[in-house]
Amino acid sequence: MDKYAYIGKDMKRIDTSLKATGGALFAADLSFPHLLVGKVLRSPHPHARILNIDTAKAENLPGVKAVVTAKDTCGDKWGVFRYTQDQQFLPTEKVRYVGEEVAAVAAIDEDTALEALALIEVQYEVLPAVFTIEEAMAPEAPQLHEVYPGNINIHVHIEVGDLEKGFSESFRIREDTFSAPEDAYFQGEPYAVAAQFDPTGNLEIWMPNAGPHLKAKPLSNVLKIPLNKVRVRKIAIGGAFGGRSEISPADVICAFLAKKARRPVKIVYTREENTVATRQAHSMITRIKTGVDQNGKVLSRDITCHLDGGAYSSTGPIAVSVPFLCMEQAYRMDNVRYNGYRVLTNKPIRGMFRTHGRAFACGIDLQLDRLGQELGIDPVTMRLRNARQTGDYTPTKSYVASCGLTETIVKSAEKSGWKEKWGKLPPYHGIGIGCNSVQTGFPMGIRGGSQALIKLNEDGGATVITGIVDNGQGNDHMIVQIAAEELGITPDDVQLISADTEVTPSDPGSYSMCETFIGGNAVKLAAQDVKKKLFKIAAEALGVSEGELTARNRKIFVTQNPDQSMSIAKAVRTSLSRNESISGEGSYWPKVDAKREWVKNPFGQLSETFSFGTVIVEVKVDPETGQVEVLEVTAAQDVGFALNPKVIEGQFEGGIAMGGQGGMLTEFLKWHEGRVLNPTQLGYLVPLAVDMPKINNIIVETMDPNGPYGAKEAGMSVAMSAAQAYCGAISNALGVYFKEFPLTPDKILAAIEEKNK
Amino acid sequence: MRLPAFQYLEPTQVDEAVSILDTYRDQVKICAGGTEVINHLKLRLIQPAAVMNIRKLADLEGISEDAQEIVIGANTTIKEISQSPLLKESGQAVAEAAFQTASPTIAAMGTIGGNILQNTRCLTYNQSGIVLQGLPVCHKQGGTLCLAVKGSQRCFSVYQGDLAPALMALKAQCVLLKKGSSRTISLGELFTGNGIKPLALEEDELLIRIIIPKPKGLYGSAYRKFRIRGSVDFPLASAAACLSVTADFHLADCCIVIGAAGPAPKVVNQASSLLEGKTPEEADVAAVAEMAYELSEGVDNLILPGTYRRKMVRVLTKRAIQAALETLKRRR
Amino acid sequence: MEEIKKRSITLTVNDETYELFTAPNRTLLEVLRDELHFTGAKESCGEGVCGSCTVLIDGQPVRSCLTLAVAVEGKAITTIEGLAQGDQLHPVQEAFVTHHAIQCGFCSPGMILTAVALLQENPQPTEEEIRRALSGNTCRCTGYAKIVEAVQSLAGEGR
Repeated sequence: MDKYAYIGKDMKRIDTSLKATGGALFAADLSFPHLLVGKVLRSPHPHARILNIDTAKAENLPGVKAVVTAKDTCGDKWGVFRYTQDQQFLPTEKVRYVGEEVAAVAAIDEDTALEALALIEVQYEVLPAVFTIEEAMAPEAPQLHEVYPGNINIHVHIEVGDLEKGFSESFRIREDTFSAPEDAYFQGEPYAVAAQFDPTGNLEIWMPNAGPHLKAKPLSNVLKIPLNKVRVRKIAIGGAFGGRSEISPADVICAFLAKKARRPVKIVYTREENTVATRQAHSMITRIKTGVDQNGKVLSRDITCHLDGGAYSSTGPIAVSVPFLCMEQAYRMDNVRYNGYRVLTNKPIRGMFRTHGRAFACGIDLQLDRLGQELGIDPVTMRLRNARQTGDYTPTKSYVASCGLTETIVKSAEKSGWKEKWGKLPPYHGIGIGCNSVQTGFPMGIRGGSQALIKLNEDGGATVITGIVDNGQGNDHMIVQIAAEELGITPDDVQLISADTEVTPSDPGSYSMCETFIGGNAVKLAAQDVKKKLFKIAAEALGVSEGELTARNRKIFVTQNPDQSMSIAKAVRTSLSRNESISGEGSYWPKVDAKREWVKNPFGQLSETFSFGTVIVEVKVDPETGQVEVLEVTAAQDVGFALNPKVIEGQFEGGIAMGGQGGMLTEFLKWHEGRVLNPTQLGYLVPLAVDMPKINNIIVETMDPNGPYGAKEAGMSVAMSAAQAYCGAISNALGVYFKEFPLTPDKILAAIEEKNK
Repeated sequence: MRLPAFQYLEPTQVDEAVSILDTYRDQVKICAGGTEVINHLKLRLIQPAAVMNIRKLADLEGISEDAQEIVIGANTTIKEISQSPLLKESGQAVAEAAFQTASPTIAAMGTIGGNILQNTRCLTYNQSGIVLQGLPVCHKQGGTLCLAVKGSQRCFSVYQGDLAPALMALKAQCVLLKKGSSRTISLGELFTGNGIKPLALEEDELLIRIIIPKPKGLYGSAYRKFRIRGSVDFPLASAAACLSVTADFHLADCCIVIGAAGPAPKVVNQASSLLEGKTPEEADVAAVAEMAYELSEGVDNLILPGTYRRKMVRVLTKRAIQAALETLKRRR
Repeated sequence: MEEIKKRSITLTVNDETYELFTAPNRTLLEVLRDELHFTGAKESCGEGVCGSCTVLIDGQPVRSCLTLAVAVEGKAITTIEGLAQGDQLHPVQEAFVTHHAIQCGFCSPGMILTAVALLQENPQPTEEEIRRALSGNTCRCTGYAKIVEAVQSLAGEGR
């Protein structure tokens, strides 16, 4: 008998048949009787004082059922952290970026709603605006917020060891500055919200989210109703990638419109609104100084990073820290200093992105390549010499319980033919490597743990209740897979109720890749809780001890003598006949340092475990055009354990497309005075099917001691290290080390021309 | 995104259509495949009183030939053109241009007429309100300044159609019909070179046919396009070449046209003097490419910088000529 | 502006006819989703680039966001909801599910219909032909690898 019935097996996901038939409902697909169409009026100015908003004409337009402005809210400022509360959902005083929400209407149809928007008269006093990090930090720069002098709203400072000593002992030192403009999520699904109040004042609301419980609390605060009256409902979600984590003004606006109009309201964003009025990814300028010894081991590293955060804080402290933290996890660095500054500009708001800080990560790796070149050491060896190992502590004092980074480097080097290729390829043909590491969650206070509840029916079927959310990556399936495995029933026997704040217990959400580790563990524990009760009954019925039993195929049987068995349904009915219900509960709180804080105390256990990934890429460059042809990509990641190998491969492949093919070759936002000039898929170039190369996937399993079945995460390490490998390969192909990303053909051609001079 | 209100007209006969044009003039926009006009309506770049669907007009589709010429109906889809054995053989540049246009689904919807008659484009023009609100109105929108090039008195919007440069390299003509008369002009005459009003088509004229004269003797043609991705995108630079040879394999009639290099496709007029009379080996392809570069225009109003796009015109001109020469050698 | 009259049209969707009273400025996508509740076709860009709105008209993939509803009377429109036969998934749908070609699912209806049309026109496409045929459908989740594998699994020997 296989160790596992479902875990580790390639299985169809439970949700994809419905998606294949078009039956999965996304927020924009919902319809309700008496539904109103909501539309948002947005600021035309990057920076302006609001003098007056006159909504009378709009309110009087036939067919308009509600108009909301800041007057309808209490004007409280909200923030992800207590020290970043700087955003009102509808501003009372100032607008700070083109596209910011100013007012909204709900009307009987879209044409009426658009007409109503045009009738709202807003008087602005235009203020000078800043659009770049340099402009924002200049001495006389206009201040966006009074509370952030110098337009810097976050400063993360981390310093460990003795940098000067490390530098003084270094054989080679390099200092380089790397930069990249903003990129954007471009989830398939543009943002949409639907909301309605029932007659007793309960709010039901649907929107794409990365954690319904994180949406419910701010809604409860702003609407001034208790949490148990806020139902953030389960909905199919068309991708998040870090851009749907927090409450959005659209959520609050939709709820207010629904309340005022006393009818359901749906707001559907255009693609442009999704790009401009949800979140974007930070642009960055990163200066890195690294000193290595003769063997290529890093002795000291000093990093200063300025990030353009846009007009408000969002998850600023996290976004400033994670690019550094990923690197301190991936590579050993005993003496390191990091200064991360988040700068405010009059541009749309930036948050966390799946590929956190391409300039940062590429900078670290390109510098290793370059230092290696000066030492006569190849890039793979440089990585091996600096790789994180199991049992290490990171500079900020996280214990690394399992680490397969070295294995990912070795295996991807072998599969890609690194030794045969590196240094031996013809001109304009190159190979490069990138390594990275990702957390599985981080301290989130009272939100940091997940709880699951399971009830069993008298026919042996089960219902699992959990707050885990699925953005498309397959978390729903993971829950069912784990529950079916532990309970000994089939996936078809498991009914899933998830991500619905009316009934599901709190869960951290799918940030920072924690759903498998934290949520999955909670589900496993809940199932084990139920199983224990079932085994007690079966043990008694079969005359054996509980330790001699196995549950599989809807039966509980004596492991050494499978004919001695009892159906699970019978066990449940037996329990019920004794007036004992069968249900279970599991709760998992990762062992992280609760006192660790991004800014005030960036030390202590960050997350309970980390994943590690390596990508190797081979490219050819057309020397006349600078066009890159990507020949082959090899991705290896330590995922702990592969719960469903094909699902994990899908994450690798999607990560390579987003982080590498798009993130390093084509994706950037183009600006005109704070306005995005490429807000749609016509101007923002996400990879197409014809652009993608051959991909080799290597799953490395280190069996994390604490992950469910040893599993860690699989969605992010490859996405990040792909960008690094792409730029390493192109640099290798040309013998030029790039500093500005992405590497669009014009930049590559300029580098070739410069070199040929 | 929502469309503005309009009257919908769906003539089935060509004389109905030209009658409508005569009545409505600039208050009617033509919809064939819809791939541009529906977009422009959504962006409110146009707000006509009426939209006329010409897809149901009889006799505007199909590719035919006689001894002298190849005739393509204006409603022929780009997909059909890319797959046409006749064009692959006798009008290779056009078939190649069609194959590289947009994406397969758009090419199946779009027509040759619509593709030729597309408006010029610019990142500061082809946008919706959320981008343009609060900005002054640019030349192309009826205003008095250029948002892409500060201080410019003229419009730098770019003609990014794929088919026109290839057709012009093959010296194509087009038949324009209006109520009571028609005219046949060379395709190049359709383009004004003015970004604000890029087409010389009159308000009451309907493009019904494209005629490609069959060159005499042996010839080869090619179309090369630059875009970053492998599909979907408009050209950021393009070049078409059509070269014919005499019986003793010296270059005779040569026509080189560049695209996405200004508000209209441009014929590299001096190319013939450099190429004619030479053998393929003697032909100074680099010099012709340099001419194309000099002729090209490029500012920073598309996704990649203008200076780079002009360099690509040079590279693509060279590659288009070389490809046409290869075809000639193969057909020898 | 003179009042624009709504008109009666009959649309044939998934082999059934629907009588609609609609203004001419409604796209086929809007009518399918809002009037007929076929929400499988999605709007992800609104300008015909992403392919999420793709439906089949007389078997050919068409961008329903760029098509006027009034212009497609009399044509056979197939949406994703029309592919499966009862509980039986269409082979392309089944292949997508089996090969993990679906993650968030937003691009899937358009992608599947485009693949159906491809295999109808070219039953044994090469990998290059598959990638080209699907190049007008953007997917942000999968990197396309398993989508291509799913279609290849139905492509017989290929060439």
